[in-house]
Amino acid sequence: MARTKGYPEALEKKLADTRLYEDERHPEFTKTVEKISMTIPHMCYQCGTCTASCPSAPRSSYRIRKFVRRGLLGLEDEALTDPDLWLCTTCYSCTDRCPRDIAPTDVIMAMRNLAFKRDIIPVNFLKTVQAIYTTGHGVPNNDVNRAARKKLGLPADPPTTHGFPKYVKGIQYILDYFELKKNADRIVKEREG
Amino acid sequence: MREYAFFLGCIAPNRYPGAESASYKTAEKLGIKLLDLEGASCCPAPGAFGSIDLNVWYAMAARNLVLAEQMKKDIALICNGCYKSIWEVNHKLKHHKELREGVNEVLKGIDMEFKGTIDVWHLAELFYDPAIVGVQKIRDSVKVPLTGTRIAVHYGCHLMKPRKERHFGTTEHPTWMEEMVAALGAEPVEYRNKMLCCGAGGGVRGYDLVHSLDITNEKMINLMEAKVDALTEVCPFCQLQFDRGQIEIQEKFGVSYNLPVLHYCELLGLAQGMTPQELALDLHGISCEPFLKKVL
Repeated sequence: MARTKGYPEALEKKLADTRLYEDERHPEFTKTVEKISMTIPHMCYQCGTCTASCPSAPRSSYRIRKFVRRGLLGLEDEALTDPDLWLCTTCYSCTDRCPRDIAPTDVIMAMRNLAFKRDIIPVNFLKTVQAIYTTGHGVPNNDVNRAARKKLGLPADPPTTHGFPKYVKGIQYILDYFELKKNADRIVKEREG
Repeated sequence: MREYAFFLGCIAPNRYPGAESASYKTAEKLGIKLLDLEGASCCPAPGAFGSIDLNVWYAMAARNLVLAEQMKKDIALICNGCYKSIWEVNHKLKHHKELREGVNEVLKGIDMEFKGTIDVWHLAELFYDPAIVGVQKIRDSVKVPLTGTRIAVHYGCHLMKPRKERHFGTTEHPTWMEEMVAALGAEPVEYRNKMLCCGAGGGVRGYDLVHSLDITNEKMINLMEAKVDALTEVCPFCQLQFDRGQIEIQEKFGVSYNLPVLHYCELLGLAQGMTPQELALDLHGISCEPFLKKVL
C-alpha cells in the first residue's frame, strides 16, 4: 500500500542515522508511558511477535515493536512525531500474543495521549470531540435515518442525548473540565483556518 | 423476563436502526427485555477519545455507567466498540481506586458518582450463555430457518480482546458465534485469518481511509475464497466498515464484492420471522437481496 502520510524531513534524517544519542533519551518518558498505559514496555525483549501480529504492519512502515523500543529507551521525540503512531487500529492482537505480558496497544494509546499534549493529533480525532460536544453522539442522527426509524416504529430520535438533549450539558461539563473542546477548536482552526 | 438497560451507542441507532429494532424484538422472544437508557451518549469512541486523553474517556464512559446504576439495571449493548468503553471502564473503575476517585472528582460537578454496582454485557454473550438464553433456546425460536446459506462470522476485536482482561477464552480461533449461526439453520463457514481486524478502529478509518480499507479488502478476499452468502458480526462499526466500506473499496481499488453484511441481531430477526422491511435492510450500502432470495 502506498503511504499517504509523509514523514517530516527532520524525522526522516534522524531515522537514517542509526546511532543512539544519550541526550535524546528521556527516562521520565518511559515512566510516564508506563503510568498512563498501566503496562510494562521495559520488559520487552524485542522478539517481534507484536509486529508479526499487526494488521497495519504489512501495508505501511508502522512497526509496533519499534514504538515499544522507543518507549523503553525514552526516545520521546522520535516516538511522538512519527506519523505511524496513528496507524494502530487497536485490535489488541499484539497484546494477546506478547510472550512478556506487555500490552503494546496500550503503549501506543499512552504515546498518543502524550502527543496530544504537544498538539500532535490528526484532526479527525478532534472532529469526533466537536460532534459529541454538540449532540452527545460521535455519529449523529440525520433526516434519512429519522424517516427510517419512524417506519420501523422507533422514535425519530433514539432515547439517548438525541431524544433528551438536556443531558448534553453533563457531557459539555466533562469536556470543558478537561478543556478538550477549547483545545480541539483551537487546533482544528490552526490546521484548517 | 430479565431486564437490562439497553446502551445504544451511535452507529446502530443513527445508521442501522434495523439492528436496534431487531435487538428489542429478538431479545424479547428470548426472555430479555431491553429498557431505554435515557440520556446515554456516545460510549465515547474508544479509538478517538482513548487516543486523545484516557481520563476524558474514563469520565465520559462513567457518566453512561452511572445512568444505568441509577436505574439499578445491568447494561446490555450490541457494539464491540461500546463494549470496549463501557465494559472496560466499568471494570477498571471497580478495581482501581485512584482512577475511580479521579473520575468521581469530575462527576461531582454534575451530581453523579460512580459506585460500581452494575455489570455490562454484550447481547451476543447473553444470547450464548445457557444460564440466560443459550443456543438451544435460539434454535427453538427460529421460524424461518436460514437453510442452504453459507454464513461467515466476523468476531471483531474489542469484545474478546485483550484476552487476559476478558472472559471469552481463546481469541485465536473461537467458534461460539458459529454455533449461534448454526442454530439459525445456516451453515457457518470458516475462512482464512478469521480473527483479522476490520481495519476501522483506533481512528484509522478517519486518519487514513485507504490504509483502513486495505485491511478490509484483505478480509473480503479471504471471505470470497470461502464462497459465503453473507457475513455476520456483532459490531455496527465493523458492519459500517464492511458494508459502506465495500462501496469505498470499489471507488478506491476498483473491485466489487457485493457481499451482504448483517448484524447477528438482524440475522436472528430474519430467522425469527421479521421481514426485511422491519429490519430496514434497504439502508445497507450493499444490497441483501441475493441473500434474502435464498432464505425467503
